[in-house]
Amino acid sequence: MDTLGRAKISVQAVTKSFSGKRGQVTALKELSLDVQDGEFVVIVGASGCGKTTLLNLVAGFEKPSQGRILLDEEPVTGITPECGMIFQQYALFPWKTVQANVEFGLKMKRMPVKQRRERAARFIDIVGLKGFEKTYPHHLSGGMKQRVSIARSLANDPKVMLLDEPFAALDAMTRQVLQEQLVRIYEKHRKTIIFITHSIDEALLLSSRIVVMTARPGRIAQDIVNDLPHPRNATVQLSSRYMELKRTIWDSVQAEVMKSMEVEAD
Amino acid sequence: MKVDSPAKSLVIGTVSLFLFITAWELFCRLGFIEPLFMPAPSKILARAIKMIDNGQLIAHTLSSTRRVMVGFTVSSLVAIPFGIFLGSSRFFMAVFDPLISLLRPLPSMSWIPLSLLWLGITETQKYSIVFMGSFAPSLLYIIEATKSIDPLLIRAAKNLGASKLDVMREVILPGALPQIIAGLKVMLGIAWTCIISAELVAAREGLGFMIMNGKEYFQTDTVLLGMVMISVTVMIIDVVFRKVEKRLLPWTR
Repeated sequence: MDTLGRAKISVQAVTKSFSGKRGQVTALKELSLDVQDGEFVVIVGASGCGKTTLLNLVAGFEKPSQGRILLDEEPVTGITPECGMIFQQYALFPWKTVQANVEFGLKMKRMPVKQRRERAARFIDIVGLKGFEKTYPHHLSGGMKQRVSIARSLANDPKVMLLDEPFAALDAMTRQVLQEQLVRIYEKHRKTIIFITHSIDEALLLSSRIVVMTARPGRIAQDIVNDLPHPRNATVQLSSRYMELKRTIWDSVQAEVMKSMEVEAD
Repeated sequence: MKVDSPAKSLVIGTVSLFLFITAWELFCRLGFIEPLFMPAPSKILARAIKMIDNGQLIAHTLSSTRRVMVGFTVSSLVAIPFGIFLGSSRFFMAVFDPLISLLRPLPSMSWIPLSLLWLGITETQKYSIVFMGSFAPSLLYIIEATKSIDPLLIRAAKNLGASKLDVMREVILPGALPQIIAGLKVMLGIAWTCIISAELVAAREGLGFMIMNGKEYFQTDTVLLGMVMISVTVMIIDVVFRKVEKRLLPWTR
């Protein structure tokens, strides 16, 4: 792994607090994380540990209360298309066809119509939705919608892809298909990916590195290189290394879940 | 009876309308109703045929329709971009809010004296009454529609490189469009109220004028014919509006 200190994304001692009805809430506390170019980092943590907040900060949707975030050594100051976000709720534009949704980022770049049509068609094909170009999102299943949203992000060619529990709302079969598709896309396009999930299995299947976050305020509890061989088929999933990694992460996540439940009880 | 199809409701509706008109006609023929206060449907029909023959009915109807359409279109064309702009800018909303709040409760009727003073009994005066009656409520509808947009979509658009103007044009306008159209449909009805009031007060043509003129000459059938024409015209425009709506909102089908 290239660790010359030139991280693609560098989260440096970031604290984020919100003022809510019950006073100040600290979502993240002095969190630091470097993500190298081409890494597939999966962040695992109990719900409410600030995973989404971290992603929102990287995407520039929110600003850190303290600390800073660098993308290619430049501070992130606002929302940037360089960090393409995939939302759990898809966030497709209901009034645009699949084609127009995928073209959106290119249209914003003022790419000529013909060029962006071709480019969108290519990415619609990559996610396996050829023939659905003229369909409106509400005629698509959840899995298909998420594929459109992935194509929309890929077509825009971001440096980093941020995925916020993208498959959490899908059924198990669809989830598996999309996970495999995402791995293939990752291997082909070598995007830097930060992926959030609460599923340890999903983390083990997808990642090149797993980061476990603590209960609120979110910090990093564990940072593990996922050295499982590809493809991560049934044999790999039944291997002792898989079990070992799963147990390690599970212990750490469980401890955090217990802690967060105590916090809730207070 | 179970009414489980649009065809069935149409049949029931037609029969009920027919029965109502027949009863009305009978009551008039049997002398229960004084014809000066309430002429029989056949009398109104006879008046209609006469006024279609001399071209007056069409002329009055077209004249009112044109006034509504001009005033309403201008009002919508100003209110839609302005509403979207105000809905997406807290600062300008704060600036204009008191003014809109002051204008909104004013019935369009209250503008008639001033508009007559400023513009005389002209077409512009009619347009301005429709405009004043529909602008402020339209604006409020549009601001509300703008605020109903899922913020996640705005976030997604910005994440894909959309500027503020792009977000307004590509996300807020189409996203708010179903609600904007629903609001404008209501406003179109209000625009008709405005123009009829304006014509009742001062005009040389139009359905409101026709009604007022009919009353002056004790032609109650003309008065009722004018009222029926207003209903029919608004109904036709409503059908056209619904067609346009389907065209404009293909994704809701």
